[in-house]
Amino acid sequence: MELAKIETLLDAYFEGETSLEQETILRDYFATNNVAPHLAAYQHLFVALKAAQEEVLEREIILPTVSASKETKRWWYGIAASLLVVIGVASLLMPSNQLSQEEQDALMAFNETKETLLLLSKSFNKGTEELAVLGQFTESKNLILK
Amino acid sequence: MNQKEFIELLLPCKDKLYRLAKRLLVSSDEAEDAVQEVYLKLWKGRDKIENYRSPEAFAITMTKNYCLDRLKSRQASNLKIVHSNYKNPDSIERKIDGDEGVALVFKIMETLPEKQKIIMQLRDIEQFDFNEIAKMLNINETAIRVSLSRARKVVREKLIKQYNYGVS
Repeated sequence: MELAKIETLLDAYFEGETSLEQETILRDYFATNNVAPHLAAYQHLFVALKAAQEEVLEREIILPTVSASKETKRWWYGIAASLLVVIGVASLLMPSNQLSQEEQDALMAFNETKETLLLLSKSFNKGTEELAVLGQFTESKNLILK
Repeated sequence: MNQKEFIELLLPCKDKLYRLAKRLLVSSDEAEDAVQEVYLKLWKGRDKIENYRSPEAFAITMTKNYCLDRLKSRQASNLKIVHSNYKNPDSIERKIDGDEGVALVFKIMETLPEKQKIIMQLRDIEQFDFNEIAKMLNINETAIRVSLSRARKVVREKLIKQYNYGVS
């Protein structure tokens, strides 16, 4: 790189008029060992700017893990909810013929009650049959007492 | 956005954020704290990050604002900022070379006003385009060039002054 061009670029640099490419040319020039003596002071600047790019963050960034577990929790809630829906739909579509203990007890109680009530009603009917005689009695009485 | 996506999107710029924070806060401890804080803020607002065109530019703006706030509260609490004085008589006698010259440049940069520090950091160290810097700082490009030129000239002036001391 010819010296005159570097000097022109330097002037533009201090005026804030260089492009990124031109600034790279300057950095590269000052990174070499054959910098013109009268520009030696500028070498510190460009070497420093280049060195500053190398600095890195040594400490590790810590992100809250609570939120991460919340996210997985949300997943589990989703899975649980969809399982519930599946079970609900399945039980609607396939009504089971196997009754639970409680249902069996209830059914037995219902049957027994039905039988009892039937028995009762039969007895009642018997009573009604016998009352039919009373009807005849009324008829005869009407004949006599007319 | 889950943690993995967040890390892929924003962790690559952690060094840039750190360097900017350090340029402003000087202490590397404080700069590390600042970057950690900024990442927590970014994480909290992660649902909005996707809406920004450049998450990196957004993170840089956030870091800049956070550091300026830190500096303000530092001043408010009357904490004196102890600048390492680059006009140390010991170093004047010595010839400036190698790392010492580099350290001198950084010390000169410490004396710049905050705005110039930020602009020089983003342009001369991180090599962002002027229009990117304009968006990050919400200043127009011309104003950025003016500030940058001023900052570079101050560094040049002080550097040459110090350099001539060193060699004479």
